[in-house]
Amino acid sequence: MELLSNLATGFGVALTPQNLMFALAGCMIGTLIGVLPGIGPIATIAMLLPLTFHLEPVSGLIMLSGIFYGAQYGGSTAAILVNLPGETSSVVTCLDGHQMARQGRAGSALATAALASFFAGCVATGVLAAAAPPLARLGQSFGAPEYFSLMVLGLVAAVVLAHGSVVKAIAMIVLGLLLGLVGTDGNTGAQRFTFGIPMLGDGLDFAVLAIGVFGVGEIIANLVRREVEGDAEIAPITRLWPTAEDFRLAWPAALRGTALGSVLGVLPGGGATLSSFAAYVVEKRLSSHPERFGKGAIEGVAGPEAANNAGAQTSFIPMLTLGLPGNAVMALMIGAMMIHGIQPGPQIMTERPGLFWGMIASMWIGNLMLVIINLPMIGLWVQLLKVPYRFLYLSVLLFCAIGCYTVSNSTMGVLLAALFGVLGFVFIRLDCEPAPMILGFVLGPLMEDNLRRAMRISSGDPMIFVERPISLFLLTMTALLFLIMVLPSFRSTREEAFQ
Amino acid sequence: MSEASRTPAHPLLRRLMRKNVLSGLMFIAIASLGLWLSRDYPIGTLRRMSTGFMPQMLCWLLMGLGGIVLLQGLLARDGSNLAGEIGHADAATEGRENYWSIAFVALSLVAFALTIETLGLVVAIVALVLIASFAYRGIAWWETLATAVGLTLLCWLIFVLGIGMTVKIFPEL
Repeated sequence: MELLSNLATGFGVALTPQNLMFALAGCMIGTLIGVLPGIGPIATIAMLLPLTFHLEPVSGLIMLSGIFYGAQYGGSTAAILVNLPGETSSVVTCLDGHQMARQGRAGSALATAALASFFAGCVATGVLAAAAPPLARLGQSFGAPEYFSLMVLGLVAAVVLAHGSVVKAIAMIVLGLLLGLVGTDGNTGAQRFTFGIPMLGDGLDFAVLAIGVFGVGEIIANLVRREVEGDAEIAPITRLWPTAEDFRLAWPAALRGTALGSVLGVLPGGGATLSSFAAYVVEKRLSSHPERFGKGAIEGVAGPEAANNAGAQTSFIPMLTLGLPGNAVMALMIGAMMIHGIQPGPQIMTERPGLFWGMIASMWIGNLMLVIINLPMIGLWVQLLKVPYRFLYLSVLLFCAIGCYTVSNSTMGVLLAALFGVLGFVFIRLDCEPAPMILGFVLGPLMEDNLRRAMRISSGDPMIFVERPISLFLLTMTALLFLIMVLPSFRSTREEAFQ
Repeated sequence: MSEASRTPAHPLLRRLMRKNVLSGLMFIAIASLGLWLSRDYPIGTLRRMSTGFMPQMLCWLLMGLGGIVLLQGLLARDGSNLAGEIGHADAATEGRENYWSIAFVALSLVAFALTIETLGLVVAIVALVLIASFAYRGIAWWETLATAVGLTLLCWLIFVLGIGMTVKIFPEL
């Protein structure tokens, strides 16, 4: 079996003491920021990028992915115990998870969330291992026109599946594409939008943009709203194991959530948040007692928790096989690869099998670690929930500053982060979601490059995009998505799903 | 909506304060700036695209999208979800916003940037923490001081001892 030998290679890489340690570190940090409200995986991964410069690429990527899926576990703890979603993907867990906690079933909710996540993580890792090779082989047959069309599809899909205004989200993508052009034009060597600042000649630093918009911007928004004062009431934990009745209700929901999350995670713009919302809606529809939802239904915890973890895991598929980020965290992972001189794309699997399979194997190990981190050690994370925001924001702000300074190796990076922080606050205030912008930012230079190459192949004839079958198929899908988007019935369902 | 508790603003002004109107204006402003900056970049031809092709195309696209958002905001009827106004985000925190936070957070980062290479890490950390503490009302002076000392130690441990960051630590006397 090819798959088994590949997985053996992967475990060989992932089980070295060094890589195990970085997987553990990533899972711990992920759980930490998942529990703490006001700081998410995007800002954290951006801040920790400079720390991975000195590491082997595999170790660095293993740690960064641990942060991402670890945050899904930690987010549910805060959601269940204090009704504060640590991450956006655990918003729906608040609905029933916190109700369970108020009824004295906090332990049961926590255990269900952790076990459902673990199950989903295992399945999704398998899906990733099985689906990646054929997709990567398909990707290797892609030329410039196909890549361009694929990116268009990815960006449009990201908008359809994101919540909020569609036009605004497209505008944010275009803004991101524009920001991605800052720096030296790779084809002509000319400087674009650099304002004569030498540091901008290499382009805007991806980590600086992410830290500014997601880290600093979020802090400003929290401080301005002053929503963060007052002590949260933490529900007590009694027994840390679901009852037989809870088990009976939870496992089919976890199964459905896993399947749904695995599919939705692969889609561009999908991933953890969309999966958990969708799973909640499905569970409520399927239930013979929908009135129990919102009042402590365990299916409302198991389904979304399984879905968000499965979605987080399978969102690695397009990133690892095609070099295309489906969400902002995957965009950061691509940034991390490029820092290490690895060009993301379908060739990674054949050229660097150790890295590719090592990352996949480490995800399974990481999921196992997370169950241990989250269940027996739950008391420790509960203590963390008591840290007041006034200490938290000062620490996060300082780490943002040091992160920007080390990643760009210049004070200009810190000044830019301040600028993007204010801009990020404006975006939050105007309901303009910054995540599509990050996606556009990463894809901007790639899209320009592929568009130029496609135009050179066809001698300036734009018909090349519809003459190539794969490209035509991708563009047709894009057009279909657009059509679905303007259909009134879809629009109302979409609004309902995102409230 | 707790509009009743406020002095009612002029209807036209309230329409202009809608989030979509302001977002539209922001996109148009950014697009205009981009077009002005890229006015001298050569565009080239479809076959050989030059420096200015993508920037100008994207700026026009952004301008059009900004226009749509602006119109959506201006034309939306009161109470529809396209007509949300800024400052009416959520009733719970309305009127208690502390807009000084924006300035203090930004200023603390600027202070960090200006001091880290000249006066060293310790001064930079203390400056950032002190200035940023003004962004939060109700933090005691000794809490700020303790945070500054604690974070200085932590950063020294992680960044200087841990990953061997080469940075000046104390100002030279």
